[in-house]
Amino acid sequence: MKILAVCSTGLGSSFMTRLNIEKAVKELGASGVEVEHADLGSVSPGSADVIFVGRDIYEAASGLGDVVSLDSLIDMDEIRTKTAEAMTRHGVRFSGEG
Amino acid sequence: MTSTSPLAIAEERIVLRDSVQGWRDAIEIVGGILVDEGNASREYVDAMIASVAGPNGTYIDLGAGIALAHARPENGVESTGLSVLHLDEPVLLADDPAHPITVFIALAAVDSSGHLDVMKNLARVLTDESLRQMLLNATTSADIVSALSPKE
Repeated sequence: MKILAVCSTGLGSSFMTRLNIEKAVKELGASGVEVEHADLGSVSPGSADVIFVGRDIYEAASGLGDVVSLDSLIDMDEIRTKTAEAMTRHGVRFSGEG
Repeated sequence: MTSTSPLAIAEERIVLRDSVQGWRDAIEIVGGILVDEGNASREYVDAMIASVAGPNGTYIDLGAGIALAHARPENGVESTGLSVLHLDEPVLLADDPAHPITVFIALAAVDSSGHLDVMKNLARVLTDESLRQMLLNATTSADIVSALSPKE
């Protein structure tokens, strides 16, 4: 499964989000989940199974498939919950709590 | 010694103010530090302001009153660097009431992923409730240096 964290520039907000999703995946005990970051302009439908964006980018990213909106990019509770939900949607098993 | 770590932020890269006139003023101040320290040209500060003023520009709001101001490498970045502006009175990013900001962190990055260690350290600090509070409640540059200091 591939998760892509996306923001407008592809190196600040999205990079921060990517690192926090990677932490959540690890905490949840999942494997086989690839997480990367990118700028909105380089992403197209099919670039990833799930796309995580901050709430301000959500509308602009809405045509890209399974898009998850984050209220905060540094709230690990929210990121852990939404990462667990995304993995469940895509059939990734994990051992930790969501 | 954390003070000699390449990831440690120096006190001269930190500014504390009671308040600013608006979000543009805030980015002028925090971006100006990157220019003074040789990380970016004046053009980079203008690009950061244009980015916030543009469509969805408030995406640099990370949450919890902290914003990561940045633009693209081709907008005048010379080298990777960070700077910090702490406000006692939060300012509204893009004049949007949904985005009150207390701490502006400005990032200059030379490409999209070479600053991994810098971002890892920032992510560690900003996702830790107590370190985040230390940063938000800082009253001196030393408080901010301490909050952002890399750990073993």
